[in-house]
Amino acid sequence: MKILCNRHCIFALLLLLALGGCSATTTIDEYRPSAEPITLNSMEKIVLLGRRDAGHYETDIEFINCIRKQLNRADIEVLDQQTFIDGIYPWFEPRTAPRALPRLKRLLQQPLVKAEIDRQAVRYLVWLDGSTETQEKSGSISCAVGPGGGGCLGYAQWSKLSTYEGTIWDLQLLEEKGRLRVDSEGTSYLIGVVAPIPLLTPVKNDACTSMGTQLTSFFSPQ
Amino acid sequence: MINRKIPANLLTQLWAALILLLVISGCSSSTSIQINSQFPKVLAEPKPIGAAILFNDNFINYSAQPTKNISIDIGAAQQQLFTNVFTGLFSHTQFIAPSEPVAQQVSLVITPSVHEVQISTPSDNYLNVFEVWIKYNLVIKTADGEALTNWFIAAYGKTPDSSAKSKSAAIENATITAIRDAGAKLMLDFYRIPAVYDWVSKQPPKEGSG
Repeated sequence: MKILCNRHCIFALLLLLALGGCSATTTIDEYRPSAEPITLNSMEKIVLLGRRDAGHYETDIEFINCIRKQLNRADIEVLDQQTFIDGIYPWFEPRTAPRALPRLKRLLQQPLVKAEIDRQAVRYLVWLDGSTETQEKSGSISCAVGPGGGGCLGYAQWSKLSTYEGTIWDLQLLEEKGRLRVDSEGTSYLIGVVAPIPLLTPVKNDACTSMGTQLTSFFSPQ
Repeated sequence: MINRKIPANLLTQLWAALILLLVISGCSSSTSIQINSQFPKVLAEPKPIGAAILFNDNFINYSAQPTKNISIDIGAAQQQLFTNVFTGLFSHTQFIAPSEPVAQQVSLVITPSVHEVQISTPSDNYLNVFEVWIKYNLVIKTADGEALTNWFIAAYGKTPDSSAKSKSAAIENATITAIRDAGAKLMLDFYRIPAVYDWVSKQPPKEGSG
């Protein structure tokens, strides 16, 4: 049997292969002490805080806002990170923020701190910790412009890895309500055939969507 | 009409000089950053101590020049933050200029100053962050003029370059974080300074101070 494939067919096939390579691989792990979702009443809010105490990175606000949007879509009220940190200054600065529950318990023994958290109606605190990093780069692409026109020729690729962890603390019962971790990896390409054609893999966006969906499943708003 | 002819080689040289000038001026940009952020009040119960905080002109108008091309005006911002923090540390605070006398309720006189400011950019540290260090010095004396201690605070702030739109915005964010860090350090450790701790423990308890 003879299969016929013209130039258009080959181009479409190559494009399909390239696009197939532009999807991220995402893995999610979670731990929850109870299978029951956490019930949130209409007065209770959660706050998402990015860890800022690591040496070489800082959990970026873009990722935190992306998760926040996902939770808002599920009717979960999320307090703005900066409003919470400013209201309780200086106890959630990188130097002073509690890294574990015993320190949080000691902090909430201060009547002023406890009163402010109650005033803001924050019931759950979700720590987000992680970053997106470029791991490998290869290839090269060069562009030139001359009197007769211009163009690019070449090929470049780079892979990115997003790793984020989330920890949920109950600020009333002072206990951990769950943990989750998302790893997302993918490779992006830039092909220079006269015009540069980017084939980008939305690694961070996939990590956000996965973590947002999983985090939403922890809560049951009333 | 006067017809002046410019030699072709002179014209070429002029063009070359002009392009070179443009390139050179584009390469050496200087950045001036003014910190205008508002800082929150501290959430803390002040101790029943009266203190005078002496802000001199150098502190209020301080402009750091960590590199020859970057200047950061932190005077107003640090004055606001230190005002907020000292108000949270002492039940009575008086903010004075060097020429003003201290009030009667004052037992401590504190003079803050900036010792050093350093910055590090991704091209320096090969990381994806901008970093700012500010070293403050607090001269702490009793109202009688007896020197208690010279206390240094090393404050640190960093910000990812991806979160800011420009280099100056990233340095501004890192500086704000460093100034906030100075406030956190001050709140956390002021009463743990050995000389201050000893001095406070020797003070007679005030009425109604619990």
